[in-house]
Amino acid sequence: MLSARDISKSFGASRALSGVSVDFSRGEVVSLVGENGAGKSTLLKALAAVFPWDTGTVTLEGASYAPKSLAEAEARGVALVFQELNVNRSLTVAENVMLGRLRTYRRFGLIDWKRLKADAQAILDRLDSGISVLADIDSLDLGQLKIIEVARALAANPRFVFFDESTAFLNNREAHRLLAVIRNLREQDHGVAFVSHHLNEVFDISDRLVVLKDGALVGSFEAAGMSESRLHELMVGREFDGGIFPPASAPAQGEVPAELAFEDVVTRSGLGPVSLAVPAGRIVGIGGLKGSGGDAMLAAVIGAEPVLSGTMRFGGQPFRPGDPRDAWRQGIAYVPGDRTGEGLIPEFPIEENLTMAVRPRTAGGLVDRTAGRRVADEMIARLRIKTAARDAATSSLSGGNMQKVVLGKCLATRPRMLLLNNPTRGVDVGAKAEIYRLMRELTGEGMTILMVTEDLAELIGVADEIVVTRRGAISHRFAPGARPSEEEVVKWMM
Amino acid sequence: MDDVAKTPVVASAGARRLPGIRDLFPILLLAALCVIFALLSDRFLTVGNGLIVLQQSTVLLVAALAMTFVIVNGSIDLSVGSTVALSALAAAAASGSMGAFAIVPAVLVGFACGLLNGALFAYGKIPSFIVTLGTLVIYRGVVLLYTRGAPVSISDPGFLQVYASRSFGLPHSVLIALVALAVVAVVFNHTVFGREVRAVGGGERVALLSGIPVNRVKLGVFVLCGTLCGLAGLLQAARTMAATAQLAQGLELDVIAAVVVGGTPLTGGIGRIRGTVLGVMIIAILSNGMNMIGMDPYLQNIIKGAVLIAAVFLTIDRSKILIIK
Repeated sequence: MLSARDISKSFGASRALSGVSVDFSRGEVVSLVGENGAGKSTLLKALAAVFPWDTGTVTLEGASYAPKSLAEAEARGVALVFQELNVNRSLTVAENVMLGRLRTYRRFGLIDWKRLKADAQAILDRLDSGISVLADIDSLDLGQLKIIEVARALAANPRFVFFDESTAFLNNREAHRLLAVIRNLREQDHGVAFVSHHLNEVFDISDRLVVLKDGALVGSFEAAGMSESRLHELMVGREFDGGIFPPASAPAQGEVPAELAFEDVVTRSGLGPVSLAVPAGRIVGIGGLKGSGGDAMLAAVIGAEPVLSGTMRFGGQPFRPGDPRDAWRQGIAYVPGDRTGEGLIPEFPIEENLTMAVRPRTAGGLVDRTAGRRVADEMIARLRIKTAARDAATSSLSGGNMQKVVLGKCLATRPRMLLLNNPTRGVDVGAKAEIYRLMRELTGEGMTILMVTEDLAELIGVADEIVVTRRGAISHRFAPGARPSEEEVVKWMM
Repeated sequence: MDDVAKTPVVASAGARRLPGIRDLFPILLLAALCVIFALLSDRFLTVGNGLIVLQQSTVLLVAALAMTFVIVNGSIDLSVGSTVALSALAAAAASGSMGAFAIVPAVLVGFACGLLNGALFAYGKIPSFIVTLGTLVIYRGVVLLYTRGAPVSISDPGFLQVYASRSFGLPHSVLIALVALAVVAVVFNHTVFGREVRAVGGGERVALLSGIPVNRVKLGVFVLCGTLCGLAGLLQAARTMAATAQLAQGLELDVIAAVVVGGTPLTGGIGRIRGTVLGVMIIAILSNGMNMIGMDPYLQNIIKGAVLIAAVFLTIDRSKILIIK
């Protein structure tokens, strides 16, 4: 048994886990459930020694457990399968399975390929995977590559295997195959911890459900007696029900002109054809599985992805940005989904990130420092960015405040339209509520917002109009003002 | 707003900006070198030698200023030595007919070299390391093809009067380099272009998605680098009063060393002109001082390399780096 007691963990100013106690037993699948930022992944990663926890104790089969590295955790019998795919496609299947223990296959200083392949195949067979070590790695689908990662975790012969959102990038068929593998592990007396955003998977596979909320333990429940609606209540918590979302905006008066329109738009990454009108002054939310079309629609509007056919219109005029610069110049601003990789440069001072899009200049072409400071101060005040100085490093901020900096960068250009990609991913609840309120305020001032989000509660709670995408096309468009249930939305995603 | 600003969360952010050993290291190293050489040689700390050091460092300084832009942009230019040589050749070849106006072809040649580098890099999408490794050989090849290995000497009195003499005791080359320094410092620190260069180096994808014309910035950086190297070529030609096939060979290594010792990391996004000036002085004084104390010339390269590695070893912020390439 792996027992965690009173585990706490903070990242900078934000508290990710506070006093969580959980037990994992062999031969049991435990799912950790909770909203974004509830601390599920943080708990698994801490236990697998991706980073250390701050306070609390853990015992493994009664002995003290405090690994300092992934390798040490593995050696103690705890292995983690990450959310992202970590398969190296330039290596063979067998090498990928045994990555990290290739040294144990040395014979006269060379690799003993025969033994390596045999051992890798044995693990793949144990998982009933149907994958041959001789297979060309480029012929495998994402699900099979994920299973190779599971096999890699098993190569250390662990007692406990953790799955952190391992089905996130898989389609239905691939995910089912991975769930079968997990059942197999349970039968072989491994302890499994499972994190997934898909509650159907969670119910499908779990023996026990551990519910987390805002980094704290809500409780541990038998999966058998649990209903989906009850689980939702536990995850969201009564006190937040509807609380973090601003009141719905008043229904549109008469016919609202479309600020942005897609007409049979097809893009290079396989989007479309899609047609959609985004009415001026409204928040249109696009839901859907990752990669199902929403991201590509935003990329097309901001000019980061070429449109192959069809027309976009902005403010009634045909609109075809050659690069993001074109789009910004016409009054479109973009909050990307990857905050530190696409939204801002963490090493830069806050002021420089806030002015990166507007770049105020004097008549002589020099940087207008005065205007830059004024813009930065205005955004820090308006968005309530918690910092002592505008020239502090952006990396010193919490996730929520960094996200506000990205928003500030956009608002500094006084855009007509705002594109948001998962605007509150990894943002704490308080900042979330502030961002939602701001969105409503902005549309009240006439701005148009197109938001893509994987967070169903956010989609339903904030959007004036909800659109669902599936495999590069729009599968459903709810009536303006409609507030469907999560199930109704999910139905159109699958 | 006021109550927000008082949160203790960011108290450490202010402390972080105090100059630490990392920021002070270049100037401490420079001071240490001066003390050491002054103790070992009584000729080191003289006005005459000071002028010699300045004169010796002009080419390096102008080229290193150019390289600072390239490195802060997250790129590298290995062709600076060859560009300097080709520009020096243009100056020497034109000096007979154009006199002091030979600066025009010299700078234009540098501009063209930078334009080719930048176009291949920004629009051809070839990594700058590869592009400039290629043009390093090509530009040097053009010099060899033209000179056939024979030096092109400069005898035009007008040219030498402007670029190789002194006013008020100061060599003109030093004055020209100082003007270049002032212009570059303004461009780097005070223009929107300078900001954009930092942004592209700090996070190209962020810059692109924020509406910065990334390709144009990249092209601009290499054009600026080439043009400055054209000026450096002119100074080099004036100092040696000739262009030879071997001129400025390996200069790129000293240039990169000067920028890095000055505290500009090769990862891009961060850098200071002041640091580069210090780095140039460190490299120049190290070379000059080792000669002054009569160190075995065959030992000097080893010391220079060791100083470069030691400087980076002592100043790099390891806590922020996960993967070292």
